[in-house]
Amino acid sequence: MPVDTRRVRAPEESQCPLLFVPLLPRGPLRTVAQPEKARVDGRQRSQVDVRPVFARCGLVTQAKGSAYMEAGKTKVLCAVYGPRESERKDDTDMKAGRLVCDFRYAPFSCPKRGTWIQGSEERDAAQALQEALRPGLCLHRYPRAQVEVNVLVLEHDGSVLAHAVTCASMALVDAGVEMYDLVLGCALRQDGDSYLLDPTLAEESGGHATQPEDNQGGVTVALLPSLGQVSGLHADGELRDESVSAAVRACMEGCHRLYPVVRRALVYAARRKAAPPGDSLET
Amino acid sequence: MAVDMRLPAVRKQVPSFSEAQEKHLVVPGDVITTDVGFMRGHGTYMDEEKLTASVAGEVERVNKLICVQPLKTRFNGEVGDVVVGRITEVQLKRWKVETNSRLDSVLLLSSVNLPGGELRRRSVEDELTMRDYLQEGDLISAEVQSVFSDGALSLHTRSLKYGKLGQGVLVQVSPSLVKRQKTHFHNLMCGASIILGNNGYIWLYPTPGQQDEEAGGYYTSLEPISLADREVISRLRNCILALAAHKVLLYDTSVLYCYESSKPHKIKNILKPEVMEEIVMETRQRLLEQVG
Amino acid sequence: MATVQICEAEKVYIMHGVRDDLRIDGRACDDYRHMEVETDVVSNTDGSARVKMGDTDILVGIKAEMGRPRPLIPDEGYLEFFVDCSANATPEFEGRGGEELGSEISSTLYKMFQNRSSLDLRALCIVPREHCWVLYVDVLLLQCDGNLLDATSIAVKAALFSTRIPKVHVSEDDEGGKELEISDDPYDCMRLQVEDVPCIVTLSKIGHRHVVDATLQEAACSMASLIIAVTHKGNVTCVRKVGGGSLDPESIFEMTETGKRVGKALHAPLMKLLQEEEVLGKRRQKVGFLG
Repeated sequence: MPVDTRRVRAPEESQCPLLFVPLLPRGPLRTVAQPEKARVDGRQRSQVDVRPVFARCGLVTQAKGSAYMEAGKTKVLCAVYGPRESERKDDTDMKAGRLVCDFRYAPFSCPKRGTWIQGSEERDAAQALQEALRPGLCLHRYPRAQVEVNVLVLEHDGSVLAHAVTCASMALVDAGVEMYDLVLGCALRQDGDSYLLDPTLAEESGGHATQPEDNQGGVTVALLPSLGQVSGLHADGELRDESVSAAVRACMEGCHRLYPVVRRALVYAARRKAAPPGDSLET
Repeated sequence: MAVDMRLPAVRKQVPSFSEAQEKHLVVPGDVITTDVGFMRGHGTYMDEEKLTASVAGEVERVNKLICVQPLKTRFNGEVGDVVVGRITEVQLKRWKVETNSRLDSVLLLSSVNLPGGELRRRSVEDELTMRDYLQEGDLISAEVQSVFSDGALSLHTRSLKYGKLGQGVLVQVSPSLVKRQKTHFHNLMCGASIILGNNGYIWLYPTPGQQDEEAGGYYTSLEPISLADREVISRLRNCILALAAHKVLLYDTSVLYCYESSKPHKIKNILKPEVMEEIVMETRQRLLEQVG
Repeated sequence: MATVQICEAEKVYIMHGVRDDLRIDGRACDDYRHMEVETDVVSNTDGSARVKMGDTDILVGIKAEMGRPRPLIPDEGYLEFFVDCSANATPEFEGRGGEELGSEISSTLYKMFQNRSSLDLRALCIVPREHCWVLYVDVLLLQCDGNLLDATSIAVKAALFSTRIPKVHVSEDDEGGKELEISDDPYDCMRLQVEDVPCIVTLSKIGHRHVVDATLQEAACSMASLIIAVTHKGNVTCVRKVGGGSLDPESIFEMTETGKRVGKALHAPLMKLLQEEEVLGKRRQKVGFLG
């Protein structure tokens, strides 16, 4: 593993105290194992019940575009730079621009401290983000240019990839990059016969090791809402055949719930950017 | 759906019957002759009076000239060869074409037929619209016009039979498997046409009906091709691959014979090793009968 | 990534062919190219397999080593995947060229095995919290001719099938310390249950239909594909959309349907073949790399 010499690193042998808590973090899901029962935060199982979302554009003032988003305790910050001259000229055809994505967890974002060095999970997420956003962008309008999307997760409380997608597409809109449509993300946790939409971290990681029953898994969908196209699909775990399609449908529904909120936030941001209506008429 | 999984078997090459005399094969470093009366040709070098091979291949002797013809190599073009190639780059007044040779070949703007007749002056506009005629990725058939000193080929398409290729399938085989013939353009009897490029690139396409000469060969039809034509082309493609796998020289008759012997099999099964062996064997037999 | 350049007319030809259910090599949309599978091809490994699918050629070697269990899962061993895209396969992989593709494939493999049933990881545990087997699964791409993921997953499954891990006897001494004794008898070994190991099916959307086992030319015509890892029971352990395009929901449902059907059908012949090879045992002449 590469060692970052620029930082004073914590002692090699320090360990997360969570390891010594006897299997508690896996518990919460079990307390709500009955399908009829509500989830820990009071939402309903097997219903399209997303957490309230707070979103705003333009927080990082030096970036071309940026967005910040909260869903429950999940907090995501995204900044967009570009389009600007592409750095790598050698590969790819010059007819379309390039989309570069970076995805990072802040070290303190998860219960266990992470490192600043990008791990494989983050690289995977960056790749997934790139593939989810690509179809929404009119990259052919930016030949020889590249657009950079940087996502930083400030607090991880489940459904991070999904919210990162939504947040990144808002930041792209804020940066004025031409897009066919917004890209919205929604995640789902399949737990036996029921599902939990927009799961929290406890719901996402719980149950995995303790419950022997099958049909456990997580699904993340990215949707272009007005075109009705799915631009990203990620599923892990072990899912029974019919639940994949059902999960995708539920996630799409979840995205549509999100759509008006995101739209309103973007309209609000656009309005703030415009000059007040009276100004242009004077002088 | 079909899944065919099997244990690998050692591939036998279909024995060739026509082996009249054993070929004289050499590897680099082999001394061909110590006789000083011979001349050094391609694929050889002189090592203290000894004529030595520098490539693995077959020794050829023309009067006093000795060459070694490598059996597997990139395409060494000669003037007059028919090639099939792919445009890799559009430059000022020229296209770069990938033709399986050592260096990319060159197609000059002045050596193509532009729409509007042969005797047309090349104007500045033509230079600007070069990409409209041929762009990166397009396939062309052409003839070797000359060979530069560094070995790169200069191509020309100044005949209506050459030019941009439309819908069809490209098959790539070793250049040494393509037999040199009077013509490399064939309308096969089975209902498709074939261009056997000397460079080992073989183009299969539906036999064209009425030639639209106005467009000068730069118009490509994107109309769907009938299923029957597709079947013929796919079968031909697999037959060519089967012949190439068993190192049978490719020319119109061998391809056609192979096509006919493959008839009892489904198209997708042709590439299975045992089927391949069977039809190549049959093709060899028929070719031999024809000669004898 | 290993790609080929093809022109517009060729693309149209391929797309119309897919529409007519006749691909350029004569296959139907849901046909695989014919495959050759051989296990136990490298003697220094604990398990190995080689899969050829068309011109795609993949070699997987598995080495078992002793390690410490992961702190969060103290009673299980684990798998480590590494995919090497050597420049032998294509000059594009030279230097760091193949790194991206390699990490993409290995992360898909990790995800594929990240569930309870794919492989019984508890069997790999020797002493909870202290010792477990770590299986290093190294994948080598020898030749690339499209559909690397499917071939890789089949090769991994075959290699896991052929893996033999020596038995370990744990004895406790008086002070409570544990002593491990690894059996040196080659027949005293543990086999892995690979029944539930999933296989990956890659479905490439071309025009309005989708195909399995796309060749490089076909992959160049496809804007988006769906990767589905399916177990022999039809359970899905991993789904990914890859490529720059988007898919409409209906075709996703259709593609998962095809994926499950094809994936299920992939397992039976593979297991049959592996068992057949094992029954033949030493009597069969190994083909190895000289085939």
